[in-house]
Order: sequence, then C-alpha cells, then structure tokens
Amino acid sequence: MDLNYTPEDVAYRKQVRAWLEENLPREEVRTLDDRRRWHRKLYEAGYLGMGWPKEVGGAGARPMEQAIVADEMARVNAPAPTNGLGLGIVGPTIVVHGTDAQKQRYLKKILTAEELWCQLYSEPNAGSDLAALKTSAVDAGDHFVVNGQKIWTSSGAVADWGLLLARTDTKVAKHKGISCFLMNMRQPGVDVRPLKQITGSSEFCEVFMTNARVEKADQIGKLGEGWAIAQTTLGYERGGRALARVTSYQSQHHRLVAAARRLKRHGKALIDDPLVRQKLGRIWADLEVERYGALRTLTMLERGEHPGAGGSLTKLSYSELEKRFMDLAMEILGPYGQLTDGAPEEFRLEIDTAVGDRGTWAYAYLWSRAGTIYAGSSEIQKNVIGERILGLPKETRADRPGAAR
Amino acid sequence: MNFSFTDDQVLLKNSVRAALDEQCKSSHVRSMIEDGKGYSDALWGEMAKLGWLGLPFPEEQGGAGLGLVELCLVLDELGRAAYPGPYFASVVLGGLGLMLGGSAAQKEKWLSAIAAGQARASAALLEDSLDWAPATTTATATRAGDGWSLSGVKRFVPWAHVADVVLVPARSPEGLSLFLVDPKQAGVTLKPMVGIDLANRWSQMRLDGARVAADALVGQPGTAEPVLESLLRRAAVCASAEMLGAARRCLDMSVSYVKVREQFGQVIGSFQAIRHRCAEMLLEVENAHSAVYYAAWALEAGAEDAAVAASICKSYVSDAARKVCGDAIQVHGGIGFTWEYDLHLYMKRAKALEPLYGDAEFHRELIVRHVAA
Repeated sequence: MDLNYTPEDVAYRKQVRAWLEENLPREEVRTLDDRRRWHRKLYEAGYLGMGWPKEVGGAGARPMEQAIVADEMARVNAPAPTNGLGLGIVGPTIVVHGTDAQKQRYLKKILTAEELWCQLYSEPNAGSDLAALKTSAVDAGDHFVVNGQKIWTSSGAVADWGLLLARTDTKVAKHKGISCFLMNMRQPGVDVRPLKQITGSSEFCEVFMTNARVEKADQIGKLGEGWAIAQTTLGYERGGRALARVTSYQSQHHRLVAAARRLKRHGKALIDDPLVRQKLGRIWADLEVERYGALRTLTMLERGEHPGAGGSLTKLSYSELEKRFMDLAMEILGPYGQLTDGAPEEFRLEIDTAVGDRGTWAYAYLWSRAGTIYAGSSEIQKNVIGERILGLPKETRADRPGAAR
Repeated sequence: MNFSFTDDQVLLKNSVRAALDEQCKSSHVRSMIEDGKGYSDALWGEMAKLGWLGLPFPEEQGGAGLGLVELCLVLDELGRAAYPGPYFASVVLGGLGLMLGGSAAQKEKWLSAIAAGQARASAALLEDSLDWAPATTTATATRAGDGWSLSGVKRFVPWAHVADVVLVPARSPEGLSLFLVDPKQAGVTLKPMVGIDLANRWSQMRLDGARVAADALVGQPGTAEPVLESLLRRAAVCASAEMLGAARRCLDMSVSYVKVREQFGQVIGSFQAIRHRCAEMLLEVENAHSAVYYAAWALEAGAEDAAVAASICKSYVSDAARKVCGDAIQVHGGIGFTWEYDLHLYMKRAKALEPLYGDAEFHRELIVRHVAA
C-alpha cells in the first residue's frame, strides 16, 4: 500500500496542468460550436477517448492518466467536452461489442464530435424496470422498423445518432427479447421533443419513433443480447471520473466556507457557529472519504480489474452525498442559494452545466435530485448491492412468478 | 499509487484472523467477562510469540518494525473478535506513546518488555471534563526532591488494573509534561469503572501526591503537548480500526442471519426493507475501511494531510460504526436484543470506542479548522 503518486504520474499531471493553462478557453463557452472547438482541441491533445485502443483512434492510456486529466480539468473548472454519451457509453460499447465495420464507421467521428450521440434506453413505463421496455424493432428484410417512445434522452435535441434498446422478440422472457442498435436520429420517423425539467433547463428529451429505420449493419451484438450489452455499458460510466467529481465538490465547498464568513446569524458569522462548523466538517469528511474510495477504485482499474457491482456502491455513495452537500449549501446560503440571477459575486457558483448554460447554486441544488434517480436509482443500486455483493435472495416479483430463489 | 494490501499484509491479516477464530471465539470473550482480571495470560503469551505485541516497535526493542497499516490490520481483527485484553492499551497507548516521546532508556526498558509480553502499559488521557485536547489537562506535577509529585484524577484509564506502567500527562511549572507512573505505587488509587463493553476494562486513577523519580519524566518538562496530540491521532485511527472490525462482524452476522430467518413464508433477506438496510451497512463499512487505511498510511508516511485524515477517519468511522451496529440489531429483531446471542459483544466494542480519543464532533471541529484555516 502506497498512496503516493508515482513520479511518472506526478510528471504527467504537471504536463496536463501546463497544457490546460495554455489552452483553456479564455472566453466563455456558450454555443455548441464553441464547445465543439474546445472538444476538438482536447481530442487533438489526446485527452478524449483516452482509454480506447490506439487502433480505433484512442490513446490507450492507463486509468490513472484518464483520472488525472479529468481531475486537472475539474481543478480549473474547465468546460466539459461535448458528446459525453458518445465518449462515455456509445464508443466503449462499439469498442467492445461492435463489428470492425462499425468501429471504422463510427468511432473516429465520436472522438472528433463530428457526430453527436444520445442513448435511447428509458421509456415512460420502463424506468427502474428498464427490461420492461416496449419499443419494437421488427425485421423487414434488409432493415428493422422501429416504433415506440423513449424518454430521459440526454442530448437528444442535438444528437445525430442514438444507441437504441428495442424489443425484437415478445415471446421470450423480457430480458431475453431485447436487442441493441445504432439508429440515425436525422430521419423522418424520429421526432425529438425537449423535456423541460425542474431546473427550467432541458438536458433531456423525449423521442418518438414512428416506422423509423435501422440498418441491419447497425445491429450491435446478436439479437436478444441487448440487455447483457446494456449491463456492461452502464458500468462504463463509473470509476474514471470519481477523483474529478471530488475535486469539483471541494472547490464548491471552499466557496461555501467563504460565504459562511460573510453571512451572519444573530450578529455572528456563520463560520463561527458550531452547528454550521459541524455540518461543514461532516461534508468535507464525506468528500475526502469519497476521494479515498476513488483511489481504491483506481487501484483496481490500474490492475485491469473491473469493480463490477462495486460500482453500485460508488454510485450510491456519491449521489447521496451530492444531495446532502447541496442541502447544506442551501441552508448556509439562505435565499441567496435560490437565486438563478442577481446574486452578488461572493454568493455565486460558476459551474458548467450539461447544456452549456452557466450554473448557479440553485441549479446545482435542483440537479442534485437527479443523481439518485438516473443510471439506476439508489433503490436499484441497493438491490444490486444486496443481491450481487451480499448474496441476498431476490424478492418474489409479479413478473417473476415464484421467483424467491 | 496503490491502495491495496501487500502480500505480506494479507498474510498478516489472515494469520491474525485464523489465530483469533481459534483462540478468541465468543465463548472466550464471555469467559473473560466473568474473569476477575479480564484477560487470558495464555492468549497474551501467544500474541507475544506471534509478534503482535511488538508489531510497531523497532527491531532493536524486540519489535517487528512494522507500520500503522499493519497495526490497524491487527486491530481490525481484534475488533472483529471483540478481543478482551490490554492490547490497545499496551501497544497503542503505552507503546506508541513511548515511541513518540520516550528516551532511549525508557524505550529500551519498556518496549522490549511489552513486546515480550512481560509488561503491560496504558495511558491516562482523560480527566473529569472529558476534553481530549491535551492542553486542557489539569493534573499537576510539582518538583519533589530529585523527582516529581503528581496529583489529579484521571478517568477511563484502559486496563490500568493490570498495567505495569501508565503514561500520565500533568501540568508542571514549565507547562504540560508527561510521566511514567506505576499504578500500583503509593499515592495512586484505582477504582473500576464498569462500562457496557464488559470485555474492556477501565479504571479511575487518583493521584494524591504520587512520587515518581526524575527518570519517570518523558521528554523535557513542558514539551508534552505535541507528543500527546500525535499519540491522540494515532489512537483515534487505531480505535477506528477496531470499530471497523466490530462493525464488519455485525454486518457479516446480519447478512448470514437474514439469509436463513423466515417470516411470511420467505427468508427476510428477500425483502427490500431488509436488503436495502444491509446494502447501506455495507456502504458504511467500505467507506470506513477507506477512511481507516488511508489515515493509517498517511500517518505512517508523514503525508501532508495526515492530521486531518486522522480526524476524518475517527469522525466518519464513529458515525458509521454506530449506524452499522445499530442496524444489525434492528435486522436481527428480538434475538439481537438477547444477552445469549453474540451480536451485542461486537456492538458494545464499537460503542465503547465511539467517544474515545475524540468523538465525531471533536474531530469535525479539527477538520473545519483545517479547511477554513
């Protein structure tokens, strides 16, 4: 056990830091075009698709190098690249499950953000119970015909392509009848409508498919393998960004401490109030423990091991912590925390939102409610932990008669 | 960067687990609860032979020369077994205290004897006010002939009734100083303080002008504060390791139990209400593991954030262990509330350590001082 970074990692971090100092956009990244330019710069520096094999345009970088880049970007509050789902989910899925032709056709354009991607998984009646999805893909000879409705599609409004889960067989058990496809979003049968959230912004969309067309060549894996493929892609989201996440929260924590020096209660600065101090101390401890956990995960990834169901522990831990943190931020900032405009500089939060707007504490607070729902709610994560790590029996469910195994 | 145990560390952990599974079953813990002295000489001798008693001491003093990570691995297992005996008092409080502040002669005399199992040590860090900040010590030390005369009342001195030497902080004219006191000597009165963890023993230690020789002084007069702060940090992390082991035991027992206990015609572990609670317990245990071993490494390596890591560790683990052990009783239901069932042995070990060496609030204040400095 040695938690010091190796001299190579220290040198690499220095190099990334220098690059960011040199290249960080001087002006605010506002439009999608601005963001594409920044994305392109990151790509050319070798900082995107870092873990992908070199032969498909990746950098073949170690997990620690990826974590360092993400962490350094968080340290300077750098804008995120675009095409997050392409880079985080779709690309890795094609790398692992795609044909050579699919790799040739799609991967490079994901890296360069020439083509933007979304993920077509959840449906109005298939949320936590994703395997209950009803969107159908019917074999029409040389292509599939897709009908159905998707929801909670991030980046749906700008996406050129979507990674689709659809039912290809209604006669088998629900997990076995799902297949995975790449679908062109720019076609008459696909209608995308923004979904306005409690934040007032629209990171997500609804997608309606009416006789939409998917080419046979764009099927990923075999028919009926969609569920298994989706299980592996969910795992790609976890791990690599954990250090960066803590770094971002810690810089926000510093801003909270600064605000607590200015704000008063009964004539006394909040930072001198023992109750406030206890709460700030608790969140800082929680963040540090999260960082230690990230180092444990990185140790596994560096050794080529996959955290597997352990990813559910990580996700449960940080998403619940994010809510506690934002609850505290609102408590300390009082009504300043609720401002979406007009807050004095010292009570503002300047963060980059997923859609490129400037984020506020109010936005971050509202957005913290999403983390324990998306990509498997906390309740689903606890089921996974219970069943797959602790080996507890599955419960009897209406869709699995007599299934208390 | 590598946050996994080395092969040697895994070997150590496994051998400690195997030895305790054999020699420190719950029946042993229960028999020691009834024992006047409270621990077994046979097991103590075995621990000396296995090298556990001198684990962190230098090899010149009969130790194994290992670090805090290894020490925490042992304490993790001792907590898991609710080990009854003066291991923590001797090796952590007495041993590390002497390592941090003792003279060459003091170390030579005591560390070798502790490592060999021939002497037991402890430290008297707490007084009436229960303030863990060493600077608040009120016991006094005045010069008497060549030596010193000590007065004051110390509370919660672990295993003082079997100790050969106790580290006693007292205020001399020069400031806070540290002394070695034989608890059986004239001027010292011990009175048992019986807590809920009956496998752990405390005493009140009253000093009424207790006379100690000049060589009983640890370091120079007035220089004890940094030594005690350093010892407190180590004790906080070591206590957390023991709490982690106890919490892990409570989780393991809970998971085994809910897999076999049936109600409503099903094993109760299939109910989400139970399963989710167990998942939350595991999360706390895993996070506590990260906190303990990060802090142990940081202190050993002299990392920049070592002091705050120790406070993060103790505050996090105190809360986590309370939740995990409490939830363990809850998922067990009635049987977890019986004396006969073993769960309370481990729950009480964690509970007894929760307020010691700084409770969660004490350490959170230190964290904020660091963050908002």
